[in-house]
Order: sequence, then C-alpha cells, then structure tokens
Amino acid sequence: MSDLEGKRAWVTGAAQGIGRAIATRLHAGGAQVVLTDVNGPGVSATAAQLGDGAFGEQVDVTSPSAVEASLAAAAERFGGLDLVVNNAGIEIGKPLVEHETDELRLLLDVNVVGVFHGIKYATAHLARTQGVIINMSSVAGLGGAPLLGAYCGSKAAVLRLTEVAAIELRAVGIRVVAVCPAFVDTPMVDRLIPGFEAVAGAPFGDLAAMKQTRLGTVEDVAEAVAFLAADESSWSTGGALVIDGGLTGSLL
Amino acid sequence: MNDNFEGKVAVVTGAARGIGLAIATALDQRGATVIASDIDGAAAARAAATLSRGESAPCDVRDEAQVTGLLRGAADRHGHLDVVVANAGIGHVKPLLEMSFVEWRETLSVNLDGVFLTTRTAAQIMVGQGSGSIVTIASITAFAGSPGIGNYSAAKAGVVNLTRTLNSECRGFGVRVNAVCPGFIKTTLVDEAQAGFDALLPGELTLEQVITAKQSRWGEPQDVAAAVCFLAGDRAPWISGTAYTLDGGFRASLL
Repeated sequence: MSDLEGKRAWVTGAAQGIGRAIATRLHAGGAQVVLTDVNGPGVSATAAQLGDGAFGEQVDVTSPSAVEASLAAAAERFGGLDLVVNNAGIEIGKPLVEHETDELRLLLDVNVVGVFHGIKYATAHLARTQGVIINMSSVAGLGGAPLLGAYCGSKAAVLRLTEVAAIELRAVGIRVVAVCPAFVDTPMVDRLIPGFEAVAGAPFGDLAAMKQTRLGTVEDVAEAVAFLAADESSWSTGGALVIDGGLTGSLL
Repeated sequence: MNDNFEGKVAVVTGAARGIGLAIATALDQRGATVIASDIDGAAAARAAATLSRGESAPCDVRDEAQVTGLLRGAADRHGHLDVVVANAGIGHVKPLLEMSFVEWRETLSVNLDGVFLTTRTAAQIMVGQGSGSIVTIASITAFAGSPGIGNYSAAKAGVVNLTRTLNSECRGFGVRVNAVCPGFIKTTLVDEAQAGFDALLPGELTLEQVITAKQSRWGEPQDVAAAVCFLAGDRAPWISGTAYTLDGGFRASLL
C-alpha cells in the first residue's frame, strides 16, 4: 500500500474516529502526516501509535491563527504540503427547536468556519504542490435527519464551500473534494443512538441494517479519502463521494 | 494503485475503444480476468489481445439473448462473475426539435435498454452467488439539460436511477451497484460530436472553451477507469447506489 508515498498531509479531528482512521490510512499509504485535534493529549497519543512520520498537535480549528500557524509549521517541517483533510466536526443531537443559539453557533464555528480556515490557510501551501483539500461532509449534507438540524445545515454548507473552493482554486491547481458518509461506527454516532432510537421506536442496528446495510466503519471512509487524495483521482474536483451503504440512493 | 482483482472475473461492454478499453485495461492491470465485449467483435478481439488475460466476446447490448449469453457464458466458464461494467453507449448531436423518433429510440436502445439488460442479468447472476459489483457509466449530462443531446442525456438520467434502483433491490445480497458520471472525456465519441456542440453553443463559444473553463482539462479514459476500479473493488465495500461525479469541477459551478 504505497499509493500515497511521498505525500505530506495535515488532518484535523484526528485524535479519534474517522479522523484517526484517515490519518492512519494516509500514513500506511506512505504519507507523512500532521495529526491535529482540539484534544492535544489524545492526538499526541494517536500520532505516537503511528510512529515515524506522524506528528500530533493541538489545534482548535475555530481559531484562524492556530490553523494558519499549524499549516505553516507542517509545510515547514515537511518542506511542503500536498494534502489537507478538514475532518474536525461536532454534533448536536436534539430537536431543532431545542437547539440553543450558543451551541448552534459553536457547531457552525467548528464544522463550517473550521473548514473555511482549513481551505483559506492551506491555499498558499497547496498551490506550490498542486495539492488536494478533502472536506468531511455527510449524507446529512444531502438530506434532513431528525435531531441533526444544525449538523445537517453545517454539512450542506461544507458541500457548497467545497464547490466554490474547487472552482476558485482551479486556477492554482488545487483540487477540492468532499466525502459524504452515512452513519459510521464512531463515538459521535454512539452518542446519537439513544435519541434516534427514541424517535424511531426501533433499535438503531435494525434501522442501520435497513437503510445502509450496516453501520459504516471508519476504514470505509478512510479508504475513500485515500482514493480521492491519490494521483489516480487527479481529475476529481468539486464533487462529493457518497459512502453510505445505499442510504441516499434509495427512498425506501 | 491498491485495487486488487486477482482471481476475479470482469465483463466490460463497449470495450473496443475509448473509456471501455481503458476500463478493461485497468482491470487487467489490477489482476482481473477481463472479458472485453463490443458490438464490433473484431475490435473487441483486438482489444482483448492487448490484455494479459483478456478474452473477447461480440455482444450487441440491445439484444437480450446476446447479453444473456455474454454474462451467463462468462459465469459458467469461470464459475463466478465478480465485476460487470455497463459501459457501451452511443451519441450524436441533434436538437430534440429536429430529432426523429428513430434517432431517439436508437440512442435509448443502446444507452438505456442495453444498460438495463446488462445490469439486470448481471444482478441476477450476482445475487445468486451472493457477491459481485456492478458499475454503470452514466454522465454529468444526466443532471442537467444540454443542447443537442436530449436522447443521450435522458438515457443517462435513466441509467442513474436504474443504478439506484438495482442497489435498493440488491442490497442485502452482497451485490453493490454504482454509477460513474463523467464530464467530457477525450474520446472519438466526443470528437465526432464536437462540431455539433460548437454549432449549438451561443455566439462564437466553442466546446473547447467551455471545457477549458469548466473542467480544467479534457478528461481522459484513464480517469474514469481508475474510478470504476475503485468502486468495483474491495476498497469500497460500503459504497453502493452512488452516482459518483468525476468531471474536473464542471458541475460544481453554476456559471
């Protein structure tokens, strides 16, 4: 597995879940990776597990200066940067009208403004390498889901940002793509399950089996990110790869 | 290039040239035994001769018996059928207002009926064996109107929903079904259509200018082939019912 040999990557939200799996897959493919997360000790531990060529760093994606500095440091460390994965995200699992304004703003700050920061401050570095930006959207960006009002809105926004960035950054040779996973076996989904079961009146496992054949694995998503990051996807930009076990392809 | 198709049997329709040939080649390079099929049997044989494990079979995808023979034959000879790529398609530029019913039906018969026959038969075999992956070649023209290709784009829109419906019927049986929706790819089909597009675009605008502005560059058959291999293979076990747009950013922009 050397499809990403020589690539130099920067990943947000990499302490756990999908972000950790993405960093792990990139590293296994031969890339050097800076793993960032708001959870500094967590991301350092993850980076340490990966070993040589993996570096953990505490970064809050809502801070423009922190993102700018971390990307500059990664480019400096590696002598360039080829890949940025804007993965960090948080969820609110409650009815829309029960969302508090402050928590909704925080969610948008992480899930949308954080992605914006990752695009804005990566551009100068990636323009030198004809690099790639991959943004974490979700099937929640493609359609509504109960209890995920703010989250759905934020993930739809990520898709639009991805399209505009792809169009505008084409001139400097940067590709920008999104991935849209359905429900994946992560701590985030674990936290949402009781609410979904209460709304649906059915076990979440049954719902997942019906709608998306099974719960996704973090590796399912990481492999798709690796595919989009690799040179074989050099003509892929502005779009979204849906990874959902058939969820959005089917009405019933 | 991590996709590994060693030991797998793949059938590609329309494999004599262009995108189909690139798909057959990519699957062969990744270890698959590829049956390269085309309505032009001699051209299919020449294509297969360039593969390391290639077989060829003439097949007119509009003919149910021929499609059944192709796919059942492959499954019977090899004992299994793992990947089927419904790629065969035709196209020509003619405004709907000038299009005859014959021209309409000719394109629909290859580009939609042919994909139905190919994917339905493949899905029957694959559901029976409990595994397999089907990829259809649709187009970004499935999602918006384009002057001069009303029959082609209607067929491609049909292919997208056919793909989704097959997914919804095959999920739970170990069979995945996905579409790739390419933008404008440098093939003889597009070469032949280019003057027709130029004539239908406003003012002095040419297709070449649109491509440069909206796609960065012409797509290459190899771009599509890489996406087909990813979707068809073991790296995408949880991707099904998807229409993956691969267009150099064409659709991302309204302008």
